[in-house]
Amino acid sequence: MPYQAEISRDNPTCFLFVIDQSGSMDEITEAGRSKANFVADVLNKTLYTLVTSCSKSDGVRNYFDVGVLAYGGSDVASGFGGALSDGIVHPICAISEHTLRVEERKKKVDDGAGGIIELTTKFPIWFDPKSAGGTPMRAALDKTRETIADWCESHPGSYPPTILHVTDGQSTDGAPEEMAEGLRQISTKDGPALLFNLHVTTAGGGETVFPTSESALADDYSRMLFRMSSPLPAHLAKFASDKGYSITDGSRGLIFNGDPQCVVDFFEIGTRPKLVADR
Amino acid sequence: MANLRPDARAKSRLPLAFSIAKADDKHNEDRFHRSTKGVYALSDGASVSFDSASWARILVRRYAQKPEFTREWLAAAIAEFHKLYDRDSLPWMKQASFDRGSFASLLGVRVVDSGRLIQVFSVGDSIAVLCDGDRIKATFPLSAPSEFGRSPQLLCTNPAQNVFLDKLDVGYDLVADWTFRGLEQPALLCMTDALGHWLLSRRDEEPSPINVLREVRSANAFARFVQEERAAGRMKRDDTTLIALW
Repeated sequence: MPYQAEISRDNPTCFLFVIDQSGSMDEITEAGRSKANFVADVLNKTLYTLVTSCSKSDGVRNYFDVGVLAYGGSDVASGFGGALSDGIVHPICAISEHTLRVEERKKKVDDGAGGIIELTTKFPIWFDPKSAGGTPMRAALDKTRETIADWCESHPGSYPPTILHVTDGQSTDGAPEEMAEGLRQISTKDGPALLFNLHVTTAGGGETVFPTSESALADDYSRMLFRMSSPLPAHLAKFASDKGYSITDGSRGLIFNGDPQCVVDFFEIGTRPKLVADR
Repeated sequence: MANLRPDARAKSRLPLAFSIAKADDKHNEDRFHRSTKGVYALSDGASVSFDSASWARILVRRYAQKPEFTREWLAAAIAEFHKLYDRDSLPWMKQASFDRGSFASLLGVRVVDSGRLIQVFSVGDSIAVLCDGDRIKATFPLSAPSEFGRSPQLLCTNPAQNVFLDKLDVGYDLVADWTFRGLEQPALLCMTDALGHWLLSRRDEEPSPINVLREVRSANAFARFVQEERAAGRMKRDDTTLIALW
């Protein structure tokens, strides 16, 4: 059975976020923010959650290696800035230590005695929104394949890498499908790498979420993204189902025409580490 | 139950209690406590939370001192935990983890009147087992090995994570009342999940897993037993704790 490896400091897993930063990502959503801005916010929150889930009172435990690969115009490069910009994938300890900045935000929480109190919370930022130029998706997935192949070679016994690819448009440097196919053939002993695709839109409604067949999709582009997407492993399918999505055997990790809530859920489901359930 | 007096027999003999970490170089996040008043508690701290060992320690000590779980009891335990840290001075990643909370099971047992009443309280996947000789008479709160695969609901230092308790009748859903009366060779065992899964997976085997545990009378013997079962792949590698009243 694939996707059973326990995630530990000796056998970490890898999350790689592949983010479209092409010009069209500056389109404004119904919520009044650009797609790039919204995706950056959700990505920062996801990184924060991943670091938090590895943090204990004595420090951050290296359960995950995490990378961000950003593409737009003619560039395919690390999406991190500062000290992390030299490489693509870094141990979660390094991610926690090298933020771009730490902002302060207010949040209201239960005080445990029936009341609500406002807490000031430190919120780290790693990734700022950018949007310019074309969509070199093929080159981005080729770089992803290379990165993941290196990682799997050095982590043969680990839970395989999960790649979360976020885009809003079609590739401008050729068909990306064969790159995705090659990527999904890279594996550890615990199974092949997982590629999940999220297509975001500014318009609400009309989304297709975790489909089981191409016939549910309207055009060639969305059907190609379906073929590029891995089936959801059982524990992620259950988590998606628990969040209210209709999941059946063979549901693929694809959201097409996703609205902002879909973006949030896509990141949360895709990065649901097994160790949260494994005590 | 106010007319029942604490167990005189338990006063004179504390149960055996052993605990071993998941690995030699790992911190054991299980905690147990035995009072001389016939109250025993154990807690399994969740490894992937901020400071589950301290949370587990607070839970078992408070339960042994006051075995009456209420919303106020839990709030007081959470308040004690929060005093351990100056939240505002923590770096962001520790502050975030602190806010998210520390998680632990709690299994408490109160033996009253030499076992005329045994009151078991449990949140999570640590289990109590009532035995008669080598036979299992009752288990609580889990009764099948497959139930250990599910994510247990645990007590948390973040009150928002304890809302599941609002949907429960604490005095009914989280409690089992047992008795030693009518049993020829009564015994009571309390254990964390790895040992609980091992025991329930072998309940019909020979030799009886109860008999195997009865032979374990020292910390060294417990460590040897757990290490052998782990090495044979029969027991999950996890912090493992046993309280045994033979």
